[in-house]
Amino acid sequence: MAKFRLDRIKPLVALAAFLAAWWIVPATVKSFLKVSFAEFQAPAWVATSYLDDLEGFWARRSHSKVELIEAGREVARAKSLYQFNAQRKETLENEISRLEAILNLPSRREFRYEVARVVRRDLNAWWQHIIVRKGKDYQIPEGAAVVFAGGVVGRVVEVNAFTSRVELITSPNFRMAANFEGDERPVIYQGLAQGGFGQPIGTVRDAPQDVVASRQAPLRLVSTRLGGTFPPGLMIGRVPWLEPGSTGIFQAGKVELDPRLLSLNEVAVLIPLYPIDLETTDAP
Amino acid sequence: MLLDPRAILLFGANVLLLYLTLLVNSALAGWSIYLFLLGPMLVFPALYLRHQSYFICVLLTGLWVDAALPAPFGLFTLGFLCAGAFVFQMRIRFRAEHNYHPIVLAHGLNFFCILLVTLALGTPNFSSLGFWFQVFVTSLASHLVLLVVAPWFFNFERMLFALCHMDTEPEDFPIL
Repeated sequence: MAKFRLDRIKPLVALAAFLAAWWIVPATVKSFLKVSFAEFQAPAWVATSYLDDLEGFWARRSHSKVELIEAGREVARAKSLYQFNAQRKETLENEISRLEAILNLPSRREFRYEVARVVRRDLNAWWQHIIVRKGKDYQIPEGAAVVFAGGVVGRVVEVNAFTSRVELITSPNFRMAANFEGDERPVIYQGLAQGGFGQPIGTVRDAPQDVVASRQAPLRLVSTRLGGTFPPGLMIGRVPWLEPGSTGIFQAGKVELDPRLLSLNEVAVLIPLYPIDLETTDAP
Repeated sequence: MLLDPRAILLFGANVLLLYLTLLVNSALAGWSIYLFLLGPMLVFPALYLRHQSYFICVLLTGLWVDAALPAPFGLFTLGFLCAGAFVFQMRIRFRAEHNYHPIVLAHGLNFFCILLVTLALGTPNFSSLGFWFQVFVTSLASHLVLLVVAPWFFNFERMLFALCHMDTEPEDFPIL
């Protein structure tokens, strides 16, 4: 009878032993491993991002003086407009504070804006994430809202020492409270599996029956202060059509998102100035 | 020797391949195209190294990929080790000195990785046509690119062996 050779099944034995060990090993060890490997990789991505910035710098240096003077003029015009807007905003903020004090309204959440460069985009059928070049070094908290010039970008899902991972609103795992502009009633926005080669889309649910949307006059879906993560009024997308949902009580429809979400270069992370203390809030 | 120095080189090459792939994916994000090129990472460790070195190389590669991608931690580590063990068991049947067998293996392993991540992360979207369309586009683009990338990657790994004056023949090379 041929002798059974253990070395022939050595790979399978080693695999079985490793699977058993992986199952037994505590979650903290796995978490430590993940963080260690992620932090080890981060410098390469941060360095790549800085190299991109350097490339942009040299590309701009190659522009002619006439182009730079023209660009400078445009910036000066934009600056004066923004200065005027800043003054107007300050006046309106003071007016709002005065009215809130008269009406004895509860205070709103205030945010600090931390602008961050996008280091990497990971957009596919399985996940829709971007990585930004700021992390614990800028006190970015997990769950913080992320926005850009076109509105809501997503939410921070992982914070490392120098980078953070942001889940985009296009991700099917992303869900938030929203409302239509000019209508305070809340609806639910959720990301969708993207079909690719087109405009990013999401879905809206629980819209009241009396809300009407059309291709000619699409509804603007904006963020609401419900949930506490996002400030109210930030653009999510446009809803060109609503139809009865599965329950028949509410309506549902597709949300057309900003195509710039797929090629973001810079975003702003909203860091709450006064984080909600759930223990104190829940206390009677 | 506890660890074949070639394992370190192969791990370095895998790190480079992942980095370049993610860099290209980041640039292609605007066109909704994603490349998934993990298959070639397992081929040479399974064909060239002794079991101990193969295991360490594939384990480190799996942990590296797991940390880089937002999949549940351990998915690629365990997936790579399972697929690697399968290839390692049958490595006597493959000729590693030419690119033909490694390329076929790379395509097979890459398809396995796509299947693995689809089953692990895509379950809630199985009813969505858009999801399957994007998985199809990703698979097609990845395997088309792999036709070019896999031979380059294997030649690059052989070149690394030669540059570092290491053995360019696989361990347990079958004598026919």
